[in-house]
Amino acid sequence: PGPFRPSRRDQPDPSASERELHEGGEYRAVAVGEPSPEFAGNAVRTAKYSALTFLPRNLFEQFRRLSYVYFLAITVLNQLPQVAVFGRGASVLPLAFVLFVTAVKDAYEDIRRHRSDRRENNRLAAVLAPQTAGEYLPKKWKHIRVGDVVRVASNETLPADMVLLATSDPTGLAHVQTVNLDGETNLKTRYAKQETQLSFSHDGHVAGMLHCERPNRNIYGFQANLEIDGKRVSLGPSNIVLRGCELKNTTWAIGVVVYAGKETKVMLNNSGPPSKRSRLETQLNRETVILSIMLIGMCITASVLAGIWLLNHQRELEFTQFFREKDYTTGKNYNYYGIGMQIFVTFLMAVIVYQVIIPISLYISMELVRLGQAYFMGADNDLYDESSRSRFQCRALNINEDLGQIKYVFSDKTGTLTENKMEFMCASIHGVDYSSGKPACGSSVVVDDLLWTPKMAVRTDPQLLKLLNNDSSNEEAKLVLEFFLALAACNTIVPLVLDTRDPKQKLIDYQGESPDEQALAYAAASYGIVLVERTSGYVVIDVLGDRQRFDILGLHEFDSDRKRMSVIVGCPDKTVKLYVKGADSSMFGIINKSLELDNVRATEAHLHKYSSLGLRTLVVGMRELSQPEFEEWQLAYEKASTAVLGRGNLLRSIAANVECNIHILGASGIEDKLQDGVPEAIESLRQAGMKVWILTGDKQETAISIGYSCKLLTNDMTQIVINNNSKESCKRSLEEALARTKEHRVASSIGSPYPVLASESSGTVLALIVDGNSLVYILETELQEELFKVATECSVVLCCRVAPLQKAGIVALIKNRTDDMTLAIGDGANDVSMIQMADVGVGINGQEGGQAVMASDFSMGQFRFLVPLLLVHGHWNYQRMGYMILYNFYKNATFVLVLFWYVLYTSFTLTTAITEWSSLLYTVLYTSLPTIVVGILDKDLSKSTLLAYPKLYGSGQRNEKYNLNLFVLNMLEALWQSLVVFYIPYFAYRQSTIGMSSLGDLWALASVIVVNMQLAMDIIRWNWIIHVFVWGTIAATVICLFVIDSIWVLPGYGAIYHIMGQGLFWLLLLIIVVTAMVPHFAIKAFSEHFVPSDIQIGREIEKFEALNQVLSVDSYYQ
Amino acid sequence: GDPGLPSSAMYPLEMEGNSNPKTTNKPKYSKFTQQELPACKPLLTPEIVIAAFALIGALFVPIGLASLHASRQVVELVHRYDASCVPVDDKVGFIQNSRTDKTCTVTMTVPKYMKSPIHVYYLIDGFYQNHRRYVRSRSDKQLRYKSAAHLTSDCVPEGDTADHAPIVPCGLVAWSLFNDTYTVRVNGVVTQVNKKDIAWKSDKNNKFGKNIYPSNFQKGRLIGGATLNESIPLSEQEDLIVWMRTAALPTFRKLYGRIEKDINANDNVTVVIQNNYNTYSFGGSKALVLSTASWIGGKNNFIGIAYLTIGGLCLSLAMGFLVLYMVKRRNFGDPSNLSWNR
Repeated sequence: PGPFRPSRRDQPDPSASERELHEGGEYRAVAVGEPSPEFAGNAVRTAKYSALTFLPRNLFEQFRRLSYVYFLAITVLNQLPQVAVFGRGASVLPLAFVLFVTAVKDAYEDIRRHRSDRRENNRLAAVLAPQTAGEYLPKKWKHIRVGDVVRVASNETLPADMVLLATSDPTGLAHVQTVNLDGETNLKTRYAKQETQLSFSHDGHVAGMLHCERPNRNIYGFQANLEIDGKRVSLGPSNIVLRGCELKNTTWAIGVVVYAGKETKVMLNNSGPPSKRSRLETQLNRETVILSIMLIGMCITASVLAGIWLLNHQRELEFTQFFREKDYTTGKNYNYYGIGMQIFVTFLMAVIVYQVIIPISLYISMELVRLGQAYFMGADNDLYDESSRSRFQCRALNINEDLGQIKYVFSDKTGTLTENKMEFMCASIHGVDYSSGKPACGSSVVVDDLLWTPKMAVRTDPQLLKLLNNDSSNEEAKLVLEFFLALAACNTIVPLVLDTRDPKQKLIDYQGESPDEQALAYAAASYGIVLVERTSGYVVIDVLGDRQRFDILGLHEFDSDRKRMSVIVGCPDKTVKLYVKGADSSMFGIINKSLELDNVRATEAHLHKYSSLGLRTLVVGMRELSQPEFEEWQLAYEKASTAVLGRGNLLRSIAANVECNIHILGASGIEDKLQDGVPEAIESLRQAGMKVWILTGDKQETAISIGYSCKLLTNDMTQIVINNNSKESCKRSLEEALARTKEHRVASSIGSPYPVLASESSGTVLALIVDGNSLVYILETELQEELFKVATECSVVLCCRVAPLQKAGIVALIKNRTDDMTLAIGDGANDVSMIQMADVGVGINGQEGGQAVMASDFSMGQFRFLVPLLLVHGHWNYQRMGYMILYNFYKNATFVLVLFWYVLYTSFTLTTAITEWSSLLYTVLYTSLPTIVVGILDKDLSKSTLLAYPKLYGSGQRNEKYNLNLFVLNMLEALWQSLVVFYIPYFAYRQSTIGMSSLGDLWALASVIVVNMQLAMDIIRWNWIIHVFVWGTIAATVICLFVIDSIWVLPGYGAIYHIMGQGLFWLLLLIIVVTAMVPHFAIKAFSEHFVPSDIQIGREIEKFEALNQVLSVDSYYQ
Repeated sequence: GDPGLPSSAMYPLEMEGNSNPKTTNKPKYSKFTQQELPACKPLLTPEIVIAAFALIGALFVPIGLASLHASRQVVELVHRYDASCVPVDDKVGFIQNSRTDKTCTVTMTVPKYMKSPIHVYYLIDGFYQNHRRYVRSRSDKQLRYKSAAHLTSDCVPEGDTADHAPIVPCGLVAWSLFNDTYTVRVNGVVTQVNKKDIAWKSDKNNKFGKNIYPSNFQKGRLIGGATLNESIPLSEQEDLIVWMRTAALPTFRKLYGRIEKDINANDNVTVVIQNNYNTYSFGGSKALVLSTASWIGGKNNFIGIAYLTIGGLCLSLAMGFLVLYMVKRRNFGDPSNLSWNR
């Protein structure tokens, strides 16, 4: 007596499932053919704004960024008459400029969205006109409503989520391509229910009431039932076709719209790429806090000094000409509110004047730089994959620089390290190993006088072939046949027949979601058991030239808990058989071992052999079902299938119930080929100081063998294996492992310049192999800590049989306990959680569909691209971005300090000698463009050097380009340079006739030249673009100064012309620039020669080699 | 004619559509996209470092010597008179009293031959012409256009008179115009101090209107400084124009006029000063400056010393680096210096 004991043998209880729907309270009722205005229409709107709402909404969105609020607060502060530092127009300008640029960009994007929305909404679809008999009239997509019956032709895009009612295929089969939805290019099979298909073919129209779940974003799930002719038919994910998919290889299909417009699954899934923050950006916050403290300190200093000055001169203020406290026409004080208030006002003004020290424009510059870097990464030919025709893609635009700091690489195995192109290599059938495969031409079948050949031929074992062809009465041959029948039938493969150039020949292409299944189906075909056709109800298999029809009575899909799938097949000889295939661990649990112990043992031995060869293994079994058994199962199956809620669990328990006492047929070994260049790539990554961990769902032996074949594991490594079934034993093995790592640590030498793994320095390398079962007891318990300790001491870690969430757990183990950056790379849906967990997620455009790519931050075609991505682009991005941030801090600090020194000579009243326009243009124009261009284009080392010396990558891992020391150094340089810029003219012009505007122009120009020279001195690769921007910016500054001083209404009118006419100006400019740069130059010269970084030596090697080449070419010609 | 295979005949080669070799999206190759633009990669080799420092030194020392020489050629006489010209203790009361005689005579002996033109400056210390209240207290539009005479909002409290007539020129800057006058005698002979062309031409031509005449100026309760002749247009009021070029620093000199006659060594220069300007209320000081000019401006040793210092520093850095490079040699571009090879 199971949970599905036969209770009522008639129809499934309609009220029961009705109740289920009501209990959930979440269902929608749709009358087929009756458009319902109750639900959302099919018009989609991806555009964010309308003409009316654009301004308020866009401003609202923009001001959600904190930096803009800071900007706004400063601007508002400046509008108070007492505090106004800059003129109103001038102070609003930068904010207005940034807002305007962003608004224009947003508006442009939105207009494009509006256009595409309009195009989408105005597409036409054939919709059944109500109250007519089967007349389909064109209707715009936006007018389609839930309940409409829509007819779609081949290659047309589906306008909404629809339940299939009927298709051109008599069995109700339809194929769709879901590339727009999840990126998978293989065809998916969808079915119309027999009931609706029949009803339609009978009178060309379907009527009924459909109950389905409320709209949700699960693309792979759908539960509904349909009342038709008083019957209740269950509907599942295979009965629904989704908006955005294309109908393929099906002349027409008719469906009823269940979700429309914004409620369709594709629209609900329409969320942007994940947003992560880069390491540098997080670290930058620390420096921002320091700068804020500096800002407040400067403001307090200025305001307190102002207060002291006022206090000392309190009694003089009335008659002092430059203060003139009193307004004699009114007799009151003018704009003077006592010392306390004056201090406060001065403080606010100081905030406005010195706010630039926190470089808000840096965030905008960083975004632009990342955009440029992303462009160059995408354009790199070395990251282009010929086989999948995919470019490198930056999906997350804000973590480019993290690529240069990776310490841990977590890699999926299948499809990432390997090609995920499976090839059937060997079989063990009934305890006999058939693995001496020879290339074969494959077998063909004759259909309608045409020759149908499977697209791929598999190496076949001659002995096995002989056995199959010669004697079918033999018991052994029967088992072999059963084995191949199981391979051909127990899958979800759809055979597609393709035309070839020869009209007499056709190709059979097996389309399916699992590459293993494809390999098995091709294998069966090569041995003469050719799957020819699949519909929802039956499969046609050509068994050694004899075409037979097998009814598929039920299918228990593969799930990761059971790790197996099964079909229940009605055979031509009227027997009912259950075919099961699955992972050996799950299969040996359900095998009837008592009957054929030898067979099981032999198979186990073969499995061990296959997996140690690096092959993926599957065990195949079968059982003949007796009539009562079958009926019991069928009843339960039907009941479960019509349930709307909880169907998945019901089906799982039914599957578990029937999959028992299995008679083992055999096992298969499938080769999973390594991708190109994987061992070399792993070697490079490891040399670069990264730890490569492999997380795979495969079993231990397979994982280890792949580890060997990709050179992650070598024979001189000491392997620590943790493979236990209880918490206690896990604890014990972890403690043992820890003890072993300690031994190695003791043996290792002390005092190496860089932290080297204990295991590596002592000569022997430790490799840790952990099993998924053990991880259950370790992850998220107190044993985690010990695993972490062991794992970080080992240079290689392999985790096998891990579930998707465990993958994420392992990533989190490292991510949460260290500051090291983690990168996860994978290609399948099971890698999504790991990709999202890691600091950087990389998706491989592979065979397993687009889910990993959709979740990733970067996507590319091959695992080996990781090497140029990290070692070259990551390195560049990191060092440029680190430099750019520091430089921006430095340049703004220099300018603000120059302003600050001047305030000391204005009785602390925050006058700026530099015109307000120059102050505002300083960050926007005078100094911003070169740093952006340098951030995009400069390269410290060439690609070839970085690839030749992978250890150069360590610079990023050790935070060499951005750290507190460098920040302090930059601030000291800013201090020195500001002193030089300010005080050299100060002493030169002390007690002279110099005017404020003239001196201000000199200070502005000197600051701009000095900070640009600093940049120029640090640029490593001068190409013409960088030349244009660096020198062009200085020229632009001069032009701006001339323009500003040509406006007669400004006090500085004519000042620059006047001061530039003096020899002293030029002498001062020269000495300022030289004096300001001398320390930087001297430090640079000293450190580059006497304490050279690896990068510096790399640069020398580059130059040296280039020199050598020139010399050798010369000597060749002589 | 197998009814079991109805749909198979219509399968086109659709799923192969994306493998059409023509539709490649391989990035186009260019030196720009592959970041291979020809580029110069300067390295700070010992030769370059030493050459750079030596070059700077070699350039700066002569410049320093030349500037020092030029500065030494300048003859400058500075005489502070703010204290000596007020005989009483209540200096502010003295200066604010319009009836006291403020004439004051100072005598200087010229130590060296002074070649004309000899610039006459007044030097004020402690006057913050760059004070925020002060700098902004002016109306530039009013100075140029008659129609803008009423634009005095920035000039409060020196914007309008008590009966709301606009003051031209308004604001504290104009109001506080310096009004000491100097009469110069060389060896007892009155010598003309030319006050023409002491202001910038650009200011006279474009900033101050030729048809703008002072009005309501210096009529308030508190007198800030000089009064202006209401029959002379602003563009000709050169003292005002000079004054309104606000000084950058609190100690500044402004051009008063030029003596276009040479003065010999040991000549006696007597200056009769009308000591009108109130620097006493804020504790400032005043001085009279007679100075010749050179190509680096007035007397200014700083620039020469700075050049010599930096030049000397660079030369010694060049020497220092030379020694360092000799002491600690390092093979240029030697992979064995990489941190993991050491």
